[in-house]
Amino acid sequence: VIIIGGGATGCGIARDLALRGIGHCLIEKGDYAAGATGACHGLLHSGGRYVVTDPIAARECYEENLILRRIGSKCVEQTGGLFVRLPGDSKRFRERFLRGCDEAGIPTEILSTTQALEAEPNLNPAVEEAIRVPDCSIDPFRLCLLNMKTSQLAGNPVFTHHRVTEILKSHGRCTGVRTVHTVTGETREIHGNILVNASGAWTDRIAALAGCEVPVTLSKGSLVITNQRISNMVINRLRPPSDGDIIVPNEAVSLAGTTALSADNPDKIRVQPEEVDAIIREAGKMLPRFHSARIIRAFSGVRPLLASLKKDSREVSRGFQIIDHGNGLYSIIGGKLTTFRLMAEKMVDAIMTAFNLKRSCETAQKPLDGQDELSGYPLSKRLADLSDVVCECELVRKEDIVRTIRENGSCHIGDISHRTRLGMGPCQGGFCTFRALGILQTERMMTPNQSRRMLHEFLQRRFRGIRHVLWGDQLREEQLVEYLYLGILGMEEEA
Amino acid sequence: VSAIEYDVVIIGGGLAGLTAGAVLTHRGLRTALVTSGEPTACLSTGCIDFCKGPSALEAMAALPAEHPLHLISTGDLHAAKDMFLKIMAKSDLLYHGDLGHNRRILTAIGSYKTTCLVPDTMQASPESEHQAFHLVTFAGLKDFYPSYITARRAVSVSTYDAGVCTTMGIATRFESEEFLDDFLLWLGGLTIREDLIAIPAVLGLESASRIFRAVGEKMNRPVFEIPTLPPSIPGRRLFNALKNHFRAQGGDIYWNWPVDGVEKTGTTIEAVYTQSHGRPSRIGARAFLLATGSFVGGGLTSTREAIIENVFNLPVHIPAGRDTWFEDNYFFANHAVSKAGITVDKTFRPDSSPLVNVFVCGGILAHTQILKYGCGHGLSLSTGYAAARACAETLS
Repeated sequence: VIIIGGGATGCGIARDLALRGIGHCLIEKGDYAAGATGACHGLLHSGGRYVVTDPIAARECYEENLILRRIGSKCVEQTGGLFVRLPGDSKRFRERFLRGCDEAGIPTEILSTTQALEAEPNLNPAVEEAIRVPDCSIDPFRLCLLNMKTSQLAGNPVFTHHRVTEILKSHGRCTGVRTVHTVTGETREIHGNILVNASGAWTDRIAALAGCEVPVTLSKGSLVITNQRISNMVINRLRPPSDGDIIVPNEAVSLAGTTALSADNPDKIRVQPEEVDAIIREAGKMLPRFHSARIIRAFSGVRPLLASLKKDSREVSRGFQIIDHGNGLYSIIGGKLTTFRLMAEKMVDAIMTAFNLKRSCETAQKPLDGQDELSGYPLSKRLADLSDVVCECELVRKEDIVRTIRENGSCHIGDISHRTRLGMGPCQGGFCTFRALGILQTERMMTPNQSRRMLHEFLQRRFRGIRHVLWGDQLREEQLVEYLYLGILGMEEEA
Repeated sequence: VSAIEYDVVIIGGGLAGLTAGAVLTHRGLRTALVTSGEPTACLSTGCIDFCKGPSALEAMAALPAEHPLHLISTGDLHAAKDMFLKIMAKSDLLYHGDLGHNRRILTAIGSYKTTCLVPDTMQASPESEHQAFHLVTFAGLKDFYPSYITARRAVSVSTYDAGVCTTMGIATRFESEEFLDDFLLWLGGLTIREDLIAIPAVLGLESASRIFRAVGEKMNRPVFEIPTLPPSIPGRRLFNALKNHFRAQGGDIYWNWPVDGVEKTGTTIEAVYTQSHGRPSRIGARAFLLATGSFVGGGLTSTREAIIENVFNLPVHIPAGRDTWFEDNYFFANHAVSKAGITVDKTFRPDSSPLVNVFVCGGILAHTQILKYGCGHGLSLSTGYAAARACAETLS
């Protein structure tokens, strides 16, 4: 089986195939979680968000929430979540919400103002009440890595930074893909019996390579990240889904979002300044500290949804669908991060049927591989030796970088950041990327020309993420970083 | 509350404030400098850029009409530059250059930066690819990677293990005779064919000139330093020299004393208040010179809606709304936000402010666009000079 797409769905399928003994490879044009998976809150839904609008999705979410907490106990943070009702929020919605949770089997607990503030002291003191639900936070990138671990332990190859340029066919059946490496330009042919198109927002484009059509609706959602964690629990607004109604803590930071705007091209999405302002305004109503928090980045993701005629993409079903194109290609679209395992299970069930094999899914029972190596945020370990620190914000050492590259066999600066958190702090890689690329050259893992080009690309990409959140200390920091690259290093003169 | 009285209080200890301090103390005025800490000059290359182009003077003349460098006559530009060169020479930190000619220096990524006045340690920096050199670097140095340079030109490299891996750490070690002797011994043992030697800018802090000369004499050929990312040693040498000069002239420096209040009578500022040593201090003066820098320096702060001047709450020129402050292209170097600042009249008093005894100079001025025009230190030096003179003339 050839899996196209290294998001949660694709990685989940790889793990499921590995556990059922089916040989496969995974192809991804960037790093893992490069699309919607990596551009979401990292919220492991309790299902509460959907109980009013989509009861089936809500029930699925809750079931998967329970499973992931069990199999991924070390990569899920059981924060718990609150749905907060602020003055003016509809009481009718509250009733529908509680009834919906009841019907979906989602446990709830109603907290008074005092109880809510005790549970989450940074809440707006005007909160009328809060309903506790079992929301959790999860690191989507780490989730992909852990799923892939099982696949890799079974000896299945992975091709990140490989873009599929062609789907090979023989007698009308899809027999493989042709890929190009996005850094080196090297091309490759990979053959398989079944192709799974799990490319999220790019599903229609990949299907088109095989002459197939998939109706996809794209919905852009934007988020902002703060430089510190503002709440302990997930905070939701108790009202129909709208802009900026979810705040999720993730280790040392908080993420707030989202927005929902229709999008055409997943490669050309941008955060708009109005979105940033709207998210901060709405998040600030639930957690007033959001108004003074230092926002270090804003980013957008594209939700790949089943096409629908409904205008507001929030009303489009978050359910998923598997399409058998009848030529050896399957497409799997829709769904959400929380239900990725279920999607993978159904997909692999279909593959087993096609192969006429019988072996049932084990992904819900077996714990995720590799959790012990990745568990937590081992700050004490990082603090043991400070002399070799390359990224001061996240305490990433030179040896972490070199080891990551050796293990990963790639030398993309993004790969390093995702695996070590290099450049994820307040300066957003302004200081350490120059160093990391210098180290890669010195260790001969990259040619000086490659690293210079990568520094250029990195600075431009980085700026896209921070350009709309530049005020206060963040603007001050950015002016300094700009002075380093354009003033001291003269990069502007040569550009 | 302790109270102290001066003729002039300068707020901000960067290049503009210290230059103004030199002018005022030369004129015998009782001058104090209040600063919240290290200036951005310590982050700089130590070179003085006036304006990009073949000739700094001609390039300055071609700046847009609203640029504050137009407030200074050519005569004053020369006078400011001469004063600077004299102070530096006296501090054994020789600078070279002329306003009529810009030059290029090699950067840490092997590109070139246009500048005007350079310290002695960068005078031999090559201005083209044709000049071969041997690069001496230090093992594990965190902010300097020779391969960025070797990617662009044929350079041979030798690496010395200094036992520390920060620029500051190595510069401090160079101040020890023993370390210097060991280094020179090692250096003498190298076979170097090139006629020129490059070294990241770590050759000592206080004794840079002596160390630099010792290396050149040992190798019997020209040596040049390549400025590194901050903390920058040449920037710190420049700052130290100006600071020591100001003190030697009788100026008082209140270090780490951020201003947190002002006392005003009508249109006159009587004093600034600072918090230090756990108690408030009142520092009074007949005139005040604001040289607090832009955003990085701490003179300006932005919120989502506005840009604020932090000491006197002077009106700030703001280039439209926040969504227009930046362009998408990172390498544009001309973002609208770099025009933000205080606009002043010919005597460097803030426009549209009733205050009569406040003068403004340096990076906090509006319309500077320092990165676009490459005018950072030159702007601070010349407006610091001119604003201080205007201030002194008003007082007399």
